[in-house]
Amino acid sequence: MEVLDKQRRVYVLGGGVSKFAAERVDGSMRDWINEAVLEALEDSGTRIEDIEHSTTSYFSDHFDKQLKAGAIFHDNIGMCPKPNVRVEGGGGTGGLAIRNAYAYIKAGLCDSMIIFGSENMGRQVPSDVAQQFIALASDTDWEVQVAGFYIAYYALMMVAHMEKYGTKEEQFALISVKNHRNAMYNPKAHYPMDISVDDVMNSRMITYPYKLLDNCLLSDGAASLIFATEEWAKKHSANWEKKPTIELTGTGCGTDFMRLADRPYPDPGILHFRGKQVGAEMAYKMAGVKDPLKDLDCFEVHDAYTGVELVSYEDLGFCKPGESGKLMEKGVFDIGGELPTNTSGGLIGFGHPVGATGIAQGVEVLRQLRQEAHPKRQVELNAKRGGMDSHGGTGTFCAINIFERRD
Amino acid sequence: MGLDQIKNLMEVFTAEDPMAFDHPDGDPWADFREIMRIEWKMDFTYKHILGKYSKFFIELANKKFVTTECKNCGKVWGIPRPLCPDCMSITRWKELPGTGTLESYSVSNFVPAFMKVEIPYVLAMVKLDGADTLFTHQLKNYGDSVDAIKMGMKVKVAYTDEKVDHPMLLMHFEPA
Ligand SMILES: [Zn+2]
Repeated sequence: MEVLDKQRRVYVLGGGVSKFAAERVDGSMRDWINEAVLEALEDSGTRIEDIEHSTTSYFSDHFDKQLKAGAIFHDNIGMCPKPNVRVEGGGGTGGLAIRNAYAYIKAGLCDSMIIFGSENMGRQVPSDVAQQFIALASDTDWEVQVAGFYIAYYALMMVAHMEKYGTKEEQFALISVKNHRNAMYNPKAHYPMDISVDDVMNSRMITYPYKLLDNCLLSDGAASLIFATEEWAKKHSANWEKKPTIELTGTGCGTDFMRLADRPYPDPGILHFRGKQVGAEMAYKMAGVKDPLKDLDCFEVHDAYTGVELVSYEDLGFCKPGESGKLMEKGVFDIGGELPTNTSGGLIGFGHPVGATGIAQGVEVLRQLRQEAHPKRQVELNAKRGGMDSHGGTGTFCAINIFERRD
Repeated sequence: MGLDQIKNLMEVFTAEDPMAFDHPDGDPWADFREIMRIEWKMDFTYKHILGKYSKFFIELANKKFVTTECKNCGKVWGIPRPLCPDCMSITRWKELPGTGTLESYSVSNFVPAFMKVEIPYVLAMVKLDGADTLFTHQLKNYGDSVDAIKMGMKVKVAYTDEKVDHPMLLMHFEPA
């Protein structure tokens, strides 16, 4: 793989997120997308009539009982008759949408693209039905029927990780404490909370080693980002000269077998996210990241469950396999640490409206690199790069994107 | 009449501005805070095809565990596949003894109600003897306590004589 046109670069002009909450009874996906898009337009100083293309990001057709919802989002924001495409990769959908913007702009299919993502996470159906819908995102003949569900799948991975490396429940709990705490400085977050490791350890056991507070919640919400070439931005973005210039410099994607059972045994077996390792390597190579711990200032990591974030540190190359728990204990990933992660609060603290999540990660990295985040969650800029990791299934789809500030 | 005309009406209420912190000059959506909620019932039944995997389920009913072997590269997939993704050759059915080793397991004290299983519920990943990849199913009859379950323990496929809701439930794992 080689990026041929090095002159043609892709910039992040602006972003917006709606409020994330357990149930947004004030509207539906289309309304939340409108909110996020209005903020992204204002943030970027662009007008929708100038933007040439859009990408739709949402995961489930069941929750909102609306097929082809992207057509509605696209027409609601005045994009017709311009082109639109939908991407889908479970929890990784938003990261894939960012990657899609890169591909379309780089290929010359358009000079500017707005991406928008949302999810109605099922408070409209009983919790039991919502769980069934989510279970449909694993193999319906071979996993759902044996009463597999996501917490149990991830627990299988974590139990194996604990057995091999000695990773501890308390180390998982530290992730929950950090992400809920970071969310306290994000007014759009679903679940800000000041809690202790004991609170996590004492919360209701669901599937060992996961307690209630180790899990993210289902959230309603939306997010949007606007990308363009420099030439387009100079012409159409009123804020191009006013705000720091942020470039999308790297994008990678990796996959793995849908079913954990089919993954190459015994290595990596069920211990690691192989697709994430592949996607990260691709993105780092493009962005010139050699040592991610030093060459990045912040990273939004997919933390659907605390252990997923911990194992992801290893697969994203922040440390060697088995070392993530110890680094977490040292505070490496806290705000003020060497590589602060999930400064937005992540899925656990900010929320997880699936199709919006990966895009919201991008909005957070944009805010961090522009030094616009709340002072209590703003990171120090050294490398002037930030990363994001969007992940679907049990690492079935992984999309890794890197933004860099150009001063 | 009025709202009474709507048979499936659940409620009409006023929603708050969820982003009041962002709107110091007032709610820009103030005109749109009156919300109606209705009940919408959907009920589906699928006529689901188990396709080229069907023989696996047919043999489970005969209390046999079969999977597929690639005739080209020799790989035996724990969960059958008509096409070997390692070499893109069409596979053949092969019977396994149904014994294996417990590679990982998770114990759930809470499960969604739709799952219709008893708590604690144990999901197991098993390396079956004769297979190159793993197989996922419930572990049952492990004794009085989950403490009896150990990583690496020998397990076997067990079959039920009861009526089941899905052919996959004709089997489960038990300690060997
Ligand atoms: Zn083969």
